[in-house]
Amino acid sequence: MRELHVSLNQTQKVRLQAAFQHLSDIGSQASSGLLVSVSDTIPVNNEDGILKGHGTSEHDGQVVATLCGVVERVNKLVYVRALRARYKPEVGDIIVGRVIEIAPKRWKLEINFSQDAVLMLQSMNLPDGIQRRRTVVDELNMRTIFEENDVICAEVRGFQHDGSLHLQARSQKYGKLERGQLLRVPAYLVKRRKQHFHDLEQYGVDLILGCNGFIWVGEHVVPADNEMVEDQESTLKDKEQSYTPLEIRQNICRIANSVRLISALGFAISVDAIIDTAEASKSSNIDIKDMLGAEFYVQTAEREVQKRISLLKKKRG
Amino acid sequence: MFEMVELITSSTLHIRNNVRADGRTLNQLRPLTCSRNLLNRAHGSARWSQGDTTVLAAVFGPKAGTKKGENPEKASIEVIWKPKTGQIGRREKEYEMILRQTLQSICLLTVHPNTTTSIIVQVIGDDGALLSCAINASCVALVDAGIPLKHLAVSICCGLTVGGHVILDPTVLEEQKLKAVLHLVFPNPPLSIHHKTQSLLKDEPIEHGIITSVMRGVMSVPDYEHCLDRGRIACTKISEFVRRNLQSSAREGLAKAT
Repeated sequence: MRELHVSLNQTQKVRLQAAFQHLSDIGSQASSGLLVSVSDTIPVNNEDGILKGHGTSEHDGQVVATLCGVVERVNKLVYVRALRARYKPEVGDIIVGRVIEIAPKRWKLEINFSQDAVLMLQSMNLPDGIQRRRTVVDELNMRTIFEENDVICAEVRGFQHDGSLHLQARSQKYGKLERGQLLRVPAYLVKRRKQHFHDLEQYGVDLILGCNGFIWVGEHVVPADNEMVEDQESTLKDKEQSYTPLEIRQNICRIANSVRLISALGFAISVDAIIDTAEASKSSNIDIKDMLGAEFYVQTAEREVQKRISLLKKKRG
Repeated sequence: MFEMVELITSSTLHIRNNVRADGRTLNQLRPLTCSRNLLNRAHGSARWSQGDTTVLAAVFGPKAGTKKGENPEKASIEVIWKPKTGQIGRREKEYEMILRQTLQSICLLTVHPNTTTSIIVQVIGDDGALLSCAINASCVALVDAGIPLKHLAVSICCGLTVGGHVILDPTVLEEQKLKAVLHLVFPNPPLSIHHKTQSLLKDEPIEHGIITSVMRGVMSVPDYEHCLDRGRIACTKISEFVRRNLQSSAREGLAKAT
């Protein structure tokens, strides 16, 4: 995502610097891990029995880092986790992507990866919900399910032989996403959690945090059961006539702006942080368009500092 | 008579009392600046400037597939050099080849087999020591992209004047009057985290090894060794600078994102 161009005046710059300085002080107190650069040796206790993981290599009997990052240790595995890494997909990740191309029996999606992901026709539920073999007619009607430039939510099923991803969208919560915004943030800001689908009831908004750095903020959609074909025609007409109410649209914009703000500051994106920022902007009566302005930018950084200080105090006792 | 005298003096570098034309001593480098993560579409990017020479390097990769003649069991590296003005000619191809072989020796090629990593080097300003600047910039860009490296490559440009002095980091005007121009690339020494203070002792032998040496001109062997020594010492300073830069930005990123 493009960096937010915030023009800060002198006092705001000073405040922002002070806030970031506080954060690094707190960070060093919390002592999360050892920062290494390329070709730094990693201290290991006993050389035998240590598994050398990603980002390490052996040199003269010592374990040497090949990336710049944090040293992580899990039992006997030692590896270096890069801080600003590109998206590295794993099986079971929830992904939001955009259809680029329709190929024979599959859709090609753009996700934030070196290659396009593939969603096979078999991995997708048919509109009438019946489980049957996909025929030639289904193949010709692929465009009625997803078209080019549609936004889709899916799950990683596996890897193909050339390294590209294989997706599946068989559940009701996956599928085409409508009536909302797609945001692109750096992929390392979205951590893997148990829940990626969030239903913010007080705003009436659905939030999907894709592990690839694509975030969907949209109107809340009740996950529909498998409808019969006749019903679908009537619901299509209803969809065309009903508009998203103004308040929900404003909430969508507010939440989207808070995601943009958090990613521009470089903080990790989580539902709590997003809701906090949105609440804070509402309570201080800041207009949605002013949320990306300089003053709220600095205020959000300061608020994050306060939150971390209180968290540290709670941890200590 | 007057014209002849003028010609002679303008073809030699004015070095009086070991001070060069722009006020630096023989061994002094120009101010270095380095910034990372500038381009948001590239996987890694870095901008390195030494005085007025500025180079922007961008890294894309690893991408699937290697070129036809390449070994598919290893990753391959592709360099594209874009000059500031003019068409791409033989000199750019030469720089591409030198850069490619240097970077091939520092990357771990067996981690991502059958992939291609592209490095695009764009010259923004040229005021001497261009190849060194480009090698430094590409190395930092590779680190920024998260591509595993064996060690960092640090590069320095030295020159031998007609009077027999060895100067470091020459400008374009100085380069034109030098007897020989030498670009050196050294690996930066592996640093043990606990023994940080101890390894800066002057008596300790500095890491041996040289990655690349490119020379234009004529130089005698003792002069070459002299250049090597000066260059190695200067490179330790540059590698400290790079390390500090990487550590501080990593610390900041870690503090924010957790």
